[in-house]
Amino acid sequence: MSIVAKVIAQSDEANRFLSSAELTKLQDFFGNGTTRISAAQKLAANEQKIVDEGSKRFWAKCPNTPSNSGNPQKTALCQRDQGWYIRLVSYCVLAGNAKPLEDIGLDGMRDMYVSLGVPLTNLKLAMRCLKEVAMGTLSSEEGALAAPYFDQLIRAF
Amino acid sequence: MQDTITAVINPADEKGSYLEGAELEALQKYFQSGTLRVKAATQIGETAASIISETVAKSLLYGDITCPGGNMYPTRRYAACLRDLTYFLRYATYAMLAADASILDERVLNGLRETYGSLGVPIEPTIQAIQAMKDVVTQRVGADAGQEMDVYLDHIISGLS
Repeated sequence: MSIVAKVIAQSDEANRFLSSAELTKLQDFFGNGTTRISAAQKLAANEQKIVDEGSKRFWAKCPNTPSNSGNPQKTALCQRDQGWYIRLVSYCVLAGNAKPLEDIGLDGMRDMYVSLGVPLTNLKLAMRCLKEVAMGTLSSEEGALAAPYFDQLIRAF
Repeated sequence: MQDTITAVINPADEKGSYLEGAELEALQKYFQSGTLRVKAATQIGETAASIISETVAKSLLYGDITCPGGNMYPTRRYAACLRDLTYFLRYATYAMLAADASILDERVLNGLRETYGSLGVPIEPTIQAIQAMKDVVTQRVGADAGQEMDVYLDHIISGLS
C-alpha cells in the first residue's frame, strides 16, 4: 500500500473527501517524484557494491558472524538477504511509505532469523553498514528520501 | 485496494526484481500527473455539494422520477439519491488520485446492481445522472482533469450497465 492508497483508505474510513492536509502530503510526494525515481535507480544499480562494501565494513567491526564464518553458502545467503532489503527500501522510496518493507521484510523477520541462528544484534550492525554505503551512492536529496526506511530497518533489528 | 504504485511493486517483488524501464516510466508519468490530480481532488472536495445539486438539476430534477410514483419521491428517497451520487463522486475522485479503478470495483460496484434491483432503483436514470456529473465535473476542473475523472465515472457506468 502506497502513501496514496493510505490517505485514501483513511478518508474513506471517515466517509469524506481528502482533507487539505492529506492533499498537501500527496502534493509533496508527487513533487519529488523525479528524485524518488533516481534514488530507486541508484539503489538498484549499486546493490552489489553496497552489499560488498557494507559486508567489508561489517566484518571489520564484527568478524565473528555467520556471513564471515568461512562457509561460502552462508555468506551468499546473508548477502542475498541484504540485497533484498536494499530492494525493499527502493520500493518504499517509490511508494512514499514503509508498507513494502513492513509487509515483505519485517513481518516475521525476527522469528526467521532467530530460527536460523543469526544474531539480531549482528544484523543490526550489518544494516547500519549497508545504510552508510548506500548513502554514499545517493545525492543528499535522494538520501533524505531513503534514510528513514534504512533507519526503520535498523530499528527493527 | 490497489493503486498505481503498488500495482507495479507487487509483481516486481514476486520476481525479486527492482522496478525498471517501463515500470519506472509509468511511475514517472504518474508522479508528473500528480499536481493535476491533487488540484482536481481539491476542487471537487471543496464543491462536492454544489456539483451534486447541479448534476441533479441537469439530469433528474425535472423528470417524473421526482414526482409521486417516481424513485426520488418522497424526500427520503431524494436524499438517498443525493447520498449515492455523492458516493460515486467521492470514490471516482479516490480512483482518479490513485490512477487505479480497483477501489470502485471493491467498494462501490460490488453488488450494486443487485442492491439497486432489489430496492427498485432504476439503472437508466442513474446512468444519465452520472453522465451529467461528468459534464459538471469537467466544467469545474477543466478539460485535462475532467478527462481523467471521466475514466472513473465511465467505469461506474459500465459497472452498472
